[in-house]
Amino acid sequence: MQNWKQKYTSFKHKPARKESSAQDNRPVKPLDSSLESNISFIQQVFGEDSDLIVRNFKVYGRHDAAIIFFSSVVDQNQIQNYVLKPLMNVSSDLSEIPKDLKDLPDYIWSMTVQVTQGNRTKDLNTLASILLEGNVVLIIDGMDQALYFNLRKIEHRSIEQPQTEQVIRGSRDGFIENLESNISLLRYRLQTPDFRVVTAPLGVRTRSKVAVCYIEGIADPGLVQKVMRRLSAINVDGILDAGYIEQFIEDHPLSPFPQVQPTERPDKSIASLLEGRVIILVDGSPFCLIVPALFNQFFQTMDDYTERFVVGSLLRMIRLIALLFSLFFPALYVSIISFNPELLPTEFAVAITGARAGVPFPAVLEVLIMEVFMEVLREATIRLPQMIGGALSIVGVLVIGQAAVAAGLASPTTVVVVAITTIGSFATPAYNAAISSRMLRFPLIILAGCFGLYGVMLGTIVIVNHLLFLESFGVPYMTPFVPTIWKDLKDSIVRVPLWWMRSRPSFLNTPDPDLLANDIPKKHTDLIFKEKSEADE
Amino acid sequence: MKLMNSNRPITTIQVMAVIISTIIGIGILSIPRYMAEAGDSGAPLVTASGVPVAFLGCWFTAVVCRKFPNETLFVFSRRLLGTWLADIFSMLISLFFAFSAGITMRQFGEVCVAVVFKKTPIEVVILLMLLLVALSIRRNIVKFTYVHVFYLPFILLSAIAIILVAMRNVDVLNLLPLTGNHTTFSSFSKGTITSAGLYQGTFVIILLVPLMKKPQQILKAGTIALGIIGFIYVMIVWVTLGMFGAQETKLLSYPTLEAARSISIGAGLLERFDALFIIIWVISIFTTIFTNYYLAAYSLQQVLRHKDHRLISSFLLPLIFTFSLLPRNIFQVYSFASITAIIGLIFLTFYPLLLWLVSLIRNKGAISHE
Repeated sequence: MQNWKQKYTSFKHKPARKESSAQDNRPVKPLDSSLESNISFIQQVFGEDSDLIVRNFKVYGRHDAAIIFFSSVVDQNQIQNYVLKPLMNVSSDLSEIPKDLKDLPDYIWSMTVQVTQGNRTKDLNTLASILLEGNVVLIIDGMDQALYFNLRKIEHRSIEQPQTEQVIRGSRDGFIENLESNISLLRYRLQTPDFRVVTAPLGVRTRSKVAVCYIEGIADPGLVQKVMRRLSAINVDGILDAGYIEQFIEDHPLSPFPQVQPTERPDKSIASLLEGRVIILVDGSPFCLIVPALFNQFFQTMDDYTERFVVGSLLRMIRLIALLFSLFFPALYVSIISFNPELLPTEFAVAITGARAGVPFPAVLEVLIMEVFMEVLREATIRLPQMIGGALSIVGVLVIGQAAVAAGLASPTTVVVVAITTIGSFATPAYNAAISSRMLRFPLIILAGCFGLYGVMLGTIVIVNHLLFLESFGVPYMTPFVPTIWKDLKDSIVRVPLWWMRSRPSFLNTPDPDLLANDIPKKHTDLIFKEKSEADE
Repeated sequence: MKLMNSNRPITTIQVMAVIISTIIGIGILSIPRYMAEAGDSGAPLVTASGVPVAFLGCWFTAVVCRKFPNETLFVFSRRLLGTWLADIFSMLISLFFAFSAGITMRQFGEVCVAVVFKKTPIEVVILLMLLLVALSIRRNIVKFTYVHVFYLPFILLSAIAIILVAMRNVDVLNLLPLTGNHTTFSSFSKGTITSAGLYQGTFVIILLVPLMKKPQQILKAGTIALGIIGFIYVMIVWVTLGMFGAQETKLLSYPTLEAARSISIGAGLLERFDALFIIIWVISIFTTIFTNYYLAAYSLQQVLRHKDHRLISSFLLPLIFTFSLLPRNIFQVYSFASITAIIGLIFLTFYPLLLWLVSLIRNKGAISHE
């Protein structure tokens, strides 16, 4: 496995940090002829590690040898059955076995060991990382090379429904922590020879496997290069989750809006691959990163595509409204109550003022306090055990809301506004986008409290301008709204019928823009119409 | 489709959007009053007569920019007029737009203080908006275009909504005679000039031409944009005058706002259009000042040959703020505003004309595609 840095050396910002002892770019140290000294070298590297197993035996009853492995990362059953057993089998015809030590590795590989993956090395220094990757190393006394076989086995949980992105209609499997399982989930749905998985370790110490997946001929080669370059510039100790990668490759780290989309759903990842995007998987993280990610994506779900298009479009609009609600509603409430109550119908204004009569705080303070309480409650619900979390949040809202009104701390209208805001932010499918709108509503409330509608308007302009200035991997964030691409608006706020979406998003610069083959009738309905007219005849 | 990598990404429609959202701004509130003062019930006609006059400036600018599709006006003017003279003119452009931004800000502040925030100091209103604009202009011209394109639908739709809803209340008698009572040529032509002075924003095309996909279509874009704005202005004057009559319109300081206030749809479904109107109006003011400030910063940067306009934009902030505080009272504000408009009309019409003539005489520029 090559290093990202070796592959894409063209884009180095900083000189690489001094690599640690487990790294493989040190000068080659050839294997010693004595088995003992080789073993002691490896034991010296790993010190007192109790899961490093050295098992001495005689190959074919003749040569002194040892296999070395980490018991925690390999499948010991397989070592027993497919490595040790054949190698220690002395009953077979010994005359076929070459006497010369030079021919022995070839013989072992081709005739004895029954393992699918393996290789050999002459460098003692690389053995350390080879062992950590889950290989079993075979060293034979007097031989100048070591054989190794991949028998990696890591415990992982089974595939479950994604926790953060549930759908009504759609597949129920989600990514898990294990990279291989995740790639198999992708391969299973995407049976094309053009599917590319480029893997390399990242993180100086954790050496986490990072896989970049794309479809050759659909993804823009420039985009793939850009992703590779940004990944290769990462130089940190540890990559523990896809979220680490996200923060290193995003265009604008200071922006509150996410420019990379994480997802737990394989079907969503495949859909983005087919659009011409690139996805990044990290070993140990159940999230895959989709780049580039635009504003448009954050209120879309798989449901929109699996449901019929009218329903899908309506749901999308409702989600967009919910997103806008969660951002603006409390600010608008504050500014109208405190500055422009004349904008409300008179009866309603009287009712609100009456309800607020006993509240000692100005509207802005009242809303701010309630919103902060709400955020605390929500954060607490995440930490709580799942069994009581759901119950507490509902009870908490009811009880606290009721009590606050009864105690005269808040007016009923405020409680309603806060509740609507919170529910609105839950309707946004992308958790990270929902967070940004949740957080941005606080400055808006303060602006509303200070300057009324004018302040809200200024705040909105700041947010909108920021969105217009953002880019994700060179694609303007508000595409296809601004810059307007009429063709791509088909899949934005509305989602047109699938047979009408005839091309991939053009802002992704894909080399193969046609989504449907040309011989498919222009309209799906044409075919059905034809069938009907034939039936009539 | 090479969308991202092209170095000429701006489309003709986007240019139109920039021009329209730049021009629709402060003038929309008080234009019915000016027009009624000039033409009485002939106000719509006076408004319409301003469009051809404004078009002259747009036409000269477009024609001369089209001759040099790869450079901004600041660059090619140096070759046409000589470095010194061109820089002086560029400096004047910068000053003009800075001043214009300042005065627009002040007018905006006056309206805000008079209508919405009766207790807020005007300086705060102005400074907040200026800070917002100053933060926003620190980007390149493509992003500048995006901002305009995004806000345009909101501006246009709200203007059209108000016009359509207000049409129910129009009394045609208020609009007769079409040419107005006792209209003299001098008052009519004064109205024409005032109306034409509202369209100075077309000068923004000098920034966009070097980035346009099809620079040859700049004149088309300018013409259509002016047509649309002219139509909206005429309709607004028509509707306001039709609702209030010429005499009453003259008495209202912000007739359009009053018109928005007096209309409603349905049985109390949406009673107060003025709130919606003010909200959208803040956006349209933002886009106007955004362009003015950007032009001021950009031309100053060209004169100083600095590498980007960000630093310069920060230095312009106190200058524009000072300009906005120059008028001592609201009467001075409006006299300053009308003087600025007339100076702008003359300057921005004749400077491109001068450049065009020089380029014709000296036979410079790329091949003209006519």
